[in-house]
Amino acid sequence: MGATIESVKSQVKQSIEAFKRGDLTEERLNRILEALEMLNQKRQDLLYLQAGSTSVNAGVHGMLLIQNGEVIEPNLDESPYKTVLHAIRDGWRIIKFPEMALLMDESRTYGLGCEFILEKWR
Amino acid sequence: MRKTYDCVPTLTDSQVLEFCKKGFLMLKGVVPDEINRRTVEYLDTNTHYEPTEILEEDWFVDNVILNPQAAGAVRSLLGKNFGVPILMSNHRVQCPTSAQGWHRDGGSKHGPELNYLQVFYYPQDCPLEFGPTELLPGSHFLFSLSSYMGHYGSIRGSYHSTAPAGSIFITVYSIWHRRSASAAEGIRNMLKYNYWRTVPPQRDWMVEPDFDFATADYTLGAPTFRQQFGDCYDAAEMLFWLCGKSSEFHLMGGQGWPVPAKFMDKPYGVPS
Repeated sequence: MGATIESVKSQVKQSIEAFKRGDLTEERLNRILEALEMLNQKRQDLLYLQAGSTSVNAGVHGMLLIQNGEVIEPNLDESPYKTVLHAIRDGWRIIKFPEMALLMDESRTYGLGCEFILEKWR
Repeated sequence: MRKTYDCVPTLTDSQVLEFCKKGFLMLKGVVPDEINRRTVEYLDTNTHYEPTEILEEDWFVDNVILNPQAAGAVRSLLGKNFGVPILMSNHRVQCPTSAQGWHRDGGSKHGPELNYLQVFYYPQDCPLEFGPTELLPGSHFLFSLSSYMGHYGSIRGSYHSTAPAGSIFITVYSIWHRRSASAAEGIRNMLKYNYWRTVPPQRDWMVEPDFDFATADYTLGAPTFRQQFGDCYDAAEMLFWLCGKSSEFHLMGGQGWPVPAKFMDKPYGVPS
Protein backbone atom coordinates (compact mmCIF):
# COMPACT_ATOMS: atom_id res chain seq x y z
CA MET A 1 0.00 0.00 0.00
CA GLY A 2 1.37 3.46 -0.92
CA ALA A 3 2.28 6.15 1.59
CA THR A 4 -0.02 9.09 2.22
CA ILE A 5 0.50 12.26 4.20
CA GLU A 6 -1.93 10.90 6.78
CA SER A 7 -0.05 7.62 7.15
CA VAL A 8 3.28 9.46 7.58
CA LYS A 9 1.72 11.76 10.20
CA SER A 10 0.50 8.70 12.05
CA GLN A 11 4.00 7.19 11.98
CA VAL A 12 5.50 10.42 13.37
CA LYS A 13 2.93 10.52 16.19
CA GLN A 14 3.70 6.91 17.05
CA SER A 15 7.42 7.73 17.07
CA ILE A 16 6.84 10.66 19.47
CA GLU A 17 5.01 8.30 21.79
CA ALA A 18 7.85 5.82 21.45
CA PHE A 19 10.35 8.59 22.25
CA LYS A 20 8.40 9.50 25.39
CA ARG A 21 8.40 5.86 26.41
CA GLY A 22 12.13 5.68 25.71
CA ASP A 23 11.89 2.92 23.10
CA LEU A 24 12.26 4.93 19.86
CA THR A 25 14.47 2.97 17.49
CA GLU A 26 16.56 3.83 14.47
CA GLU A 27 14.50 1.30 12.49
CA ARG A 28 11.25 3.17 13.22
CA LEU A 29 12.78 6.48 12.04
CA ASN A 30 14.08 4.78 8.87
CA ARG A 31 10.54 3.59 8.10
CA ILE A 32 9.38 7.23 8.22
CA LEU A 33 12.18 8.20 5.82
CA GLU A 34 11.11 5.44 3.42
CA ALA A 35 7.51 6.60 3.59
CA LEU A 36 8.57 10.18 2.81
CA GLU A 37 10.52 8.95 -0.22
CA MET A 38 7.43 7.07 -1.41
CA LEU A 39 5.42 10.27 -1.10
CA ASN A 40 7.86 11.95 -3.49
CA GLN A 41 7.28 9.18 -6.03
CA LYS A 42 3.56 9.88 -6.37
CA ARG A 43 2.42 10.41 -9.93
CA GLN A 44 -0.11 12.81 -11.35
CA ASP A 45 -2.78 11.38 -13.63
CA LEU A 46 -4.37 13.79 -16.09
CA LEU A 47 -7.70 13.63 -17.88
CA TYR A 48 -8.37 15.98 -20.79
CA LEU A 49 -12.07 16.22 -21.58
CA GLN A 50 -13.52 18.26 -24.43
CA ALA A 51 -17.20 18.94 -23.79
CA GLY A 52 -20.14 20.40 -25.67
CA SER A 53 -20.43 23.39 -23.36
CA THR A 54 -18.88 24.92 -20.25
CA SER A 55 -21.32 22.96 -18.06
CA VAL A 56 -19.84 20.03 -16.17
CA ASN A 57 -23.03 18.22 -17.18
CA ALA A 58 -22.32 18.62 -20.91
CA GLY A 59 -21.58 15.57 -23.03
CA VAL A 60 -17.94 14.65 -23.58
CA HIS A 61 -16.84 14.42 -27.21
CA GLY A 62 -13.09 14.20 -26.82
CA MET A 63 -10.80 12.53 -24.30
CA LEU A 64 -7.17 11.80 -23.53
CA LEU A 65 -5.93 10.12 -20.35
CA ILE A 66 -2.45 10.22 -18.84
CA GLN A 67 -2.44 7.39 -16.31
CA ASN A 68 0.55 6.16 -14.36
CA GLY A 69 2.86 7.91 -16.83
CA GLU A 70 1.22 6.36 -19.89
CA VAL A 71 -0.77 8.13 -22.61
CA ILE A 72 -4.10 6.36 -23.18
CA GLU A 73 -6.87 7.10 -25.67
CA PRO A 74 -10.03 5.68 -24.12
CA ASN A 75 -12.83 4.36 -26.28
CA LEU A 76 -15.44 7.09 -25.92
CA ASP A 77 -18.34 4.67 -26.23
CA GLU A 78 -16.97 2.46 -23.46
CA SER A 79 -15.78 5.25 -21.17
CA PRO A 80 -17.75 5.71 -17.94
CA TYR A 81 -17.22 9.47 -18.26
CA LYS A 82 -20.08 10.54 -20.50
CA THR A 83 -19.94 13.99 -18.88
CA VAL A 84 -17.35 15.90 -16.89
CA LEU A 85 -19.54 15.37 -13.83
CA HIS A 86 -19.14 11.60 -14.15
CA ALA A 87 -15.38 12.04 -13.86
CA ILE A 88 -15.72 14.32 -10.84
CA ARG A 89 -17.88 11.72 -9.12
CA ASP A 90 -15.09 9.21 -9.75
CA GLY A 91 -12.62 11.34 -7.83
CA TRP A 92 -11.14 13.50 -10.58
CA ARG A 93 -10.40 17.08 -9.62
CA ILE A 94 -10.72 19.89 -12.16
CA ILE A 95 -7.52 21.92 -12.46
CA LYS A 96 -8.47 23.93 -15.54
CA PHE A 97 -11.81 25.16 -16.80
CA PRO A 98 -12.55 26.13 -20.44
CA GLU A 99 -10.96 29.41 -21.48
CA MET A 100 -14.07 31.59 -21.62
CA ALA A 101 -12.19 34.46 -23.21
CA LEU A 102 -11.50 32.29 -26.24
CA LEU A 103 -15.13 31.31 -26.67
CA MET A 104 -16.69 34.73 -26.98
CA ASP A 105 -16.34 35.19 -30.73
CA GLU A 106 -19.02 32.99 -32.26
CA SER A 107 -17.77 33.64 -35.77
CA ARG A 108 -14.64 31.64 -35.08
CA THR A 109 -13.97 28.20 -33.70
CA TYR A 110 -11.08 27.25 -31.52
CA GLY A 111 -10.17 23.62 -31.61
CA LEU A 112 -12.67 21.28 -30.04
CA GLY A 113 -14.15 23.97 -27.83
CA CYS A 114 -14.81 23.65 -24.11
CA GLU A 115 -11.93 21.85 -22.50
CA PHE A 116 -11.64 20.67 -18.93
CA ILE A 117 -8.41 19.30 -17.51
CA LEU A 118 -8.68 17.09 -14.43
CA GLU A 119 -6.15 15.36 -12.21
CA LYS A 120 -5.74 12.53 -9.76
CA TRP A 121 -2.68 11.57 -7.76
CA ARG A 122 -1.56 8.00 -7.31
CA MET B 1 6.96 19.99 -65.41
CA ARG B 2 3.56 21.38 -64.48
CA LYS B 3 0.59 19.97 -66.39
CA THR B 4 -3.13 20.53 -66.38
CA TYR B 5 -5.90 18.08 -67.15
CA ASP B 6 -9.55 18.19 -68.03
CA CYS B 7 -12.21 15.53 -68.03
CA VAL B 8 -15.90 15.06 -67.40
CA PRO B 9 -17.01 16.06 -63.90
CA THR B 10 -18.60 13.17 -62.02
CA LEU B 11 -20.00 14.70 -58.84
CA THR B 12 -23.56 15.90 -58.50
CA ASP B 13 -24.79 18.93 -56.57
CA SER B 14 -25.61 16.69 -53.60
CA GLN B 15 -22.17 15.10 -53.64
CA VAL B 16 -20.43 18.47 -53.84
CA LEU B 17 -22.51 19.67 -50.88
CA GLU B 18 -21.62 16.48 -48.97
CA PHE B 19 -17.95 17.23 -49.63
CA CYS B 20 -18.41 20.76 -48.32
CA LYS B 21 -19.99 19.42 -45.13
CA LYS B 22 -17.55 16.60 -44.36
CA GLY B 23 -14.40 17.86 -46.00
CA PHE B 24 -13.59 14.56 -47.68
CA LEU B 25 -14.81 12.02 -50.20
CA MET B 26 -13.88 8.34 -50.16
CA LEU B 27 -13.66 6.39 -53.42
CA LYS B 28 -13.18 2.75 -52.50
CA GLY B 29 -11.32 0.31 -54.72
CA VAL B 30 -11.27 2.47 -57.85
CA VAL B 31 -7.70 1.61 -58.94
CA PRO B 32 -7.18 -1.79 -60.62
CA ASP B 33 -5.43 -4.52 -58.60
CA GLU B 34 -2.61 -4.80 -61.14
CA ILE B 35 -1.77 -1.12 -60.68
CA ASN B 36 -1.94 -1.44 -56.90
CA ARG B 37 0.52 -4.35 -56.98
CA ARG B 38 2.84 -2.47 -59.32
CA THR B 39 2.72 0.60 -57.08
CA VAL B 40 3.64 -1.42 -53.99
CA GLU B 41 6.53 -3.02 -55.90
CA TYR B 42 7.70 0.42 -56.99
CA LEU B 43 7.53 1.73 -53.43
CA ASP B 44 9.52 -1.25 -52.17
CA THR B 45 12.28 -0.09 -54.51
CA ASN B 46 11.92 3.66 -54.05
CA THR B 47 11.46 3.98 -50.30
CA HIS B 48 12.07 7.72 -50.17
CA TYR B 49 9.41 9.69 -48.31
CA GLU B 50 8.96 11.73 -51.47
CA PRO B 51 9.01 9.26 -54.38
CA THR B 52 8.07 12.03 -56.80
CA GLU B 53 9.65 10.09 -59.70
CA ILE B 54 6.54 7.87 -59.74
CA LEU B 55 4.78 10.81 -61.41
CA GLU B 56 6.91 10.12 -64.49
CA GLU B 57 5.48 6.60 -64.83
CA ASP B 58 2.67 6.55 -67.40
CA TRP B 59 1.01 3.45 -65.90
CA PHE B 60 0.75 5.29 -62.55
CA VAL B 61 -0.37 8.63 -63.94
CA ASP B 62 -3.03 7.07 -66.18
CA ASN B 63 -4.52 4.81 -63.53
CA VAL B 64 -4.04 6.73 -60.28
CA ILE B 65 -3.50 10.44 -60.90
CA LEU B 66 -5.93 10.53 -63.82
CA ASN B 67 -8.11 7.71 -62.54
CA PRO B 68 -11.53 8.45 -64.08
CA GLN B 69 -13.46 8.47 -60.82
CA ALA B 70 -10.86 10.40 -58.87
CA ALA B 71 -10.12 12.89 -61.64
CA GLY B 72 -13.85 13.32 -62.25
CA ALA B 73 -14.33 14.26 -58.61
CA VAL B 74 -11.32 16.60 -58.69
CA ARG B 75 -12.67 18.18 -61.89
CA SER B 76 -16.00 18.75 -60.14
CA LEU B 77 -14.39 20.51 -57.21
CA LEU B 78 -11.53 22.41 -58.84
CA GLY B 79 -12.99 23.16 -62.26
CA LYS B 80 -11.61 22.47 -65.70
CA ASN B 81 -7.92 22.30 -66.52
CA PHE B 82 -6.90 21.56 -62.96
CA GLY B 83 -3.22 21.26 -62.14
CA VAL B 84 -2.03 17.71 -61.60
CA PRO B 85 0.36 16.79 -58.76
CA ILE B 86 4.00 17.80 -58.95
CA LEU B 87 4.96 16.27 -55.62
CA MET B 88 4.39 12.80 -54.25
CA SER B 89 4.71 11.86 -50.59
CA ASN B 90 4.65 8.35 -49.20
CA HIS B 91 3.62 7.75 -45.62
CA ARG B 92 5.39 4.42 -45.40
CA VAL B 93 4.95 3.00 -41.94
CA GLN B 94 6.38 -0.06 -40.26
CA CYS B 95 3.45 -1.47 -38.31
CA PRO B 96 2.61 -1.91 -35.50
CA THR B 97 2.99 1.62 -34.28
CA SER B 98 1.19 4.11 -32.09
CA ALA B 99 -1.26 6.74 -33.28
CA GLN B 100 0.08 9.98 -34.67
CA GLY B 101 -0.99 13.25 -33.09
CA TRP B 102 -3.98 15.07 -34.54
CA HIS B 103 -2.87 17.79 -36.93
CA ARG B 104 -3.73 19.81 -39.99
CA ASP B 105 -0.96 19.98 -42.53
CA GLY B 106 1.33 22.97 -42.68
CA GLY B 107 0.08 25.75 -44.94
CA SER B 108 -3.57 25.19 -44.06
CA LYS B 109 -5.91 28.12 -44.54
CA HIS B 110 -9.41 28.13 -43.09
CA GLY B 111 -12.38 29.43 -45.00
CA PRO B 112 -14.79 28.64 -47.82
CA GLU B 113 -12.25 28.76 -50.63
CA LEU B 114 -11.14 25.53 -52.27
CA ASN B 115 -8.13 26.13 -54.45
CA TYR B 116 -6.38 22.79 -53.99
CA LEU B 117 -7.16 19.30 -52.80
CA GLN B 118 -5.14 16.87 -50.74
CA VAL B 119 -5.59 13.33 -51.97
CA PHE B 120 -4.61 9.99 -50.43
CA TYR B 121 -4.19 6.65 -52.22
CA TYR B 122 -3.93 3.24 -50.58
CA PRO B 123 -2.17 0.82 -52.94
CA GLN B 124 -2.79 -1.99 -50.45
CA ASP B 125 -5.61 -3.01 -48.15
CA CYS B 126 -5.80 -0.76 -45.13
CA PRO B 127 -8.01 -2.30 -42.45
CA LEU B 128 -8.10 -0.93 -38.92
CA GLU B 129 -5.10 -3.12 -37.98
CA PHE B 130 -2.88 -1.20 -40.41
CA GLY B 131 -3.55 2.23 -38.96
CA PRO B 132 -5.68 3.95 -41.60
CA THR B 133 -5.77 7.72 -41.63
CA GLU B 134 -8.31 9.01 -39.13
CA LEU B 135 -10.21 12.12 -40.19
CA LEU B 136 -12.47 14.44 -38.25
CA PRO B 137 -15.47 15.23 -40.48
CA GLY B 138 -16.17 18.95 -40.77
CA SER B 139 -12.89 19.92 -39.12
CA HIS B 140 -11.68 21.76 -42.22
CA PHE B 141 -13.70 24.65 -40.79
CA LEU B 142 -12.27 24.34 -37.26
CA PHE B 143 -9.47 26.76 -36.65
CA SER B 144 -6.71 25.43 -34.48
CA LEU B 145 -2.96 25.31 -34.60
CA SER B 146 -1.34 21.90 -34.98
CA SER B 147 0.92 22.70 -32.06
CA TYR B 148 -2.20 23.19 -29.92
CA MET B 149 -3.69 19.81 -30.82
CA GLY B 150 -1.09 17.68 -29.08
CA HIS B 151 -3.33 16.82 -26.16
CA TYR B 152 -6.29 15.62 -28.22
CA GLY B 153 -6.92 11.87 -28.26
CA SER B 154 -10.18 10.06 -28.88
CA ILE B 155 -12.67 12.37 -30.62
CA ARG B 156 -16.31 11.47 -31.07
CA GLY B 157 -17.41 11.31 -34.68
CA SER B 158 -13.96 10.65 -36.13
CA TYR B 159 -13.77 8.56 -39.31
CA HIS B 160 -11.24 5.76 -39.87
CA SER B 161 -10.52 5.53 -43.57
CA THR B 162 -10.46 1.73 -43.65
CA ALA B 163 -10.49 0.75 -47.29
CA PRO B 164 -9.48 -1.95 -49.75
CA ALA B 165 -6.45 -1.61 -52.00
CA GLY B 166 -7.00 0.87 -54.78
CA SER B 167 -8.95 3.34 -52.70
CA ILE B 168 -8.52 7.09 -53.11
CA PHE B 169 -9.86 9.69 -50.78
CA ILE B 170 -10.03 13.36 -51.54
CA THR B 171 -9.85 15.94 -48.76
CA VAL B 172 -9.94 19.64 -48.05
CA TYR B 173 -6.32 20.43 -47.24
CA SER B 174 -7.03 21.84 -43.79
CA ILE B 175 -8.98 18.84 -42.46
CA TRP B 176 -7.75 17.45 -39.13
CA HIS B 177 -6.25 14.01 -39.52
CA ARG B 178 -3.69 11.57 -38.19
CA ARG B 179 -2.37 8.07 -38.70
CA SER B 180 -4.29 5.83 -36.33
CA ALA B 181 -2.67 3.19 -34.16
CA SER B 182 -1.84 -0.11 -35.86
CA ALA B 183 -1.61 -3.60 -34.42
CA ALA B 184 -0.65 -5.73 -37.42
CA GLU B 185 2.88 -6.58 -38.58
CA GLY B 186 4.11 -5.20 -41.90
CA ILE B 187 4.64 -2.15 -44.08
CA ARG B 188 1.81 0.22 -44.89
CA ASN B 189 2.23 2.56 -47.84
CA MET B 190 -0.02 5.54 -48.38
CA LEU B 191 0.60 8.07 -51.10
CA LYS B 192 -0.40 11.70 -50.67
CA TYR B 193 -0.52 14.41 -53.33
CA ASN B 194 -2.24 17.67 -54.29
CA TYR B 195 -4.28 18.93 -57.23
CA TRP B 196 -4.59 22.62 -58.01
CA ARG B 197 -7.28 25.03 -59.25
CA THR B 198 -6.43 27.11 -62.30
CA VAL B 199 -9.83 28.66 -63.10
CA PRO B 200 -12.36 30.65 -61.06
CA PRO B 201 -15.03 28.50 -59.41
CA GLN B 202 -18.37 27.89 -61.10
CA ARG B 203 -21.16 25.36 -60.89
CA ASP B 204 -20.03 23.22 -63.79
CA TRP B 205 -20.24 19.81 -62.17
CA MET B 206 -23.27 17.49 -62.68
CA VAL B 207 -26.21 19.77 -62.01
CA GLU B 208 -29.25 18.03 -60.52
CA PRO B 209 -32.42 19.53 -61.99
CA ASP B 210 -34.28 19.22 -58.71
CA PHE B 211 -31.48 20.41 -56.42
CA ASP B 212 -32.85 23.31 -54.41
CA PHE B 213 -30.33 25.54 -52.62
CA ALA B 214 -33.13 26.79 -50.38
CA THR B 215 -34.13 23.41 -48.99
CA ALA B 216 -30.92 21.38 -49.28
CA ASP B 217 -29.66 19.77 -46.09
CA TYR B 218 -26.54 21.61 -44.92
CA THR B 219 -26.22 19.83 -41.57
CA LEU B 220 -23.15 17.79 -40.71
CA GLY B 221 -24.55 15.75 -37.83
CA ALA B 222 -23.35 15.84 -34.23
CA PRO B 223 -20.88 16.66 -32.96
CA THR B 224 -20.07 19.73 -35.05
CA PHE B 225 -17.73 21.43 -32.52
CA ARG B 226 -19.37 24.73 -33.46
CA GLN B 227 -22.23 26.89 -32.31
CA GLN B 228 -25.68 25.65 -33.32
CA PHE B 229 -26.16 25.96 -37.11
CA GLY B 230 -22.48 26.86 -37.54
CA ASP B 231 -22.01 23.68 -39.58
CA CYS B 232 -24.84 24.75 -41.95
CA TYR B 233 -23.45 28.25 -42.33
CA ASP B 234 -19.96 26.97 -43.14
CA ALA B 235 -21.10 24.34 -45.65
CA ALA B 236 -23.47 26.76 -47.40
CA GLU B 237 -20.78 29.39 -47.69
CA MET B 238 -18.36 26.90 -49.21
CA LEU B 239 -20.96 25.65 -51.68
CA PHE B 240 -21.70 29.21 -52.77
CA TRP B 241 -18.00 29.88 -53.20
CA LEU B 242 -17.68 26.78 -55.38
CA CYS B 243 -20.61 28.01 -57.47
CA GLY B 244 -18.76 31.28 -58.00
CA LYS B 245 -21.46 33.10 -56.06
CA SER B 246 -19.69 34.02 -52.85
CA SER B 247 -20.61 37.69 -53.37
CA GLU B 248 -24.28 36.68 -53.14
CA PHE B 249 -23.84 34.68 -49.96
CA HIS B 250 -25.56 36.26 -47.00
CA LEU B 251 -26.79 35.00 -43.65
CA MET B 252 -29.97 36.57 -42.37
CA GLY B 253 -29.68 34.88 -38.98
CA GLY B 254 -32.44 33.65 -36.71
CA GLN B 255 -34.44 30.86 -38.28
CA GLY B 256 -33.48 32.04 -41.73
CA TRP B 257 -31.74 29.94 -44.39
CA PRO B 258 -29.85 27.57 -44.16
CA VAL B 259 -31.13 26.52 -40.73
CA PRO B 260 -32.65 23.01 -40.90
CA ALA B 261 -36.29 22.88 -39.87
CA LYS B 262 -39.71 21.69 -40.97
CA PHE B 263 -40.78 24.95 -42.61
CA MET B 264 -44.21 25.23 -44.23
CA ASP B 265 -42.67 27.25 -47.04
CA LYS B 266 -39.23 28.17 -48.30
CA PRO B 267 -37.16 29.72 -45.52
CA TYR B 268 -36.50 33.44 -45.34
CA GLY B 269 -33.06 34.71 -46.17
CA VAL B 270 -32.25 32.51 -49.16
CA PRO B 271 -29.75 34.43 -51.30
CA SER B 272 -31.41 35.50 -54.54
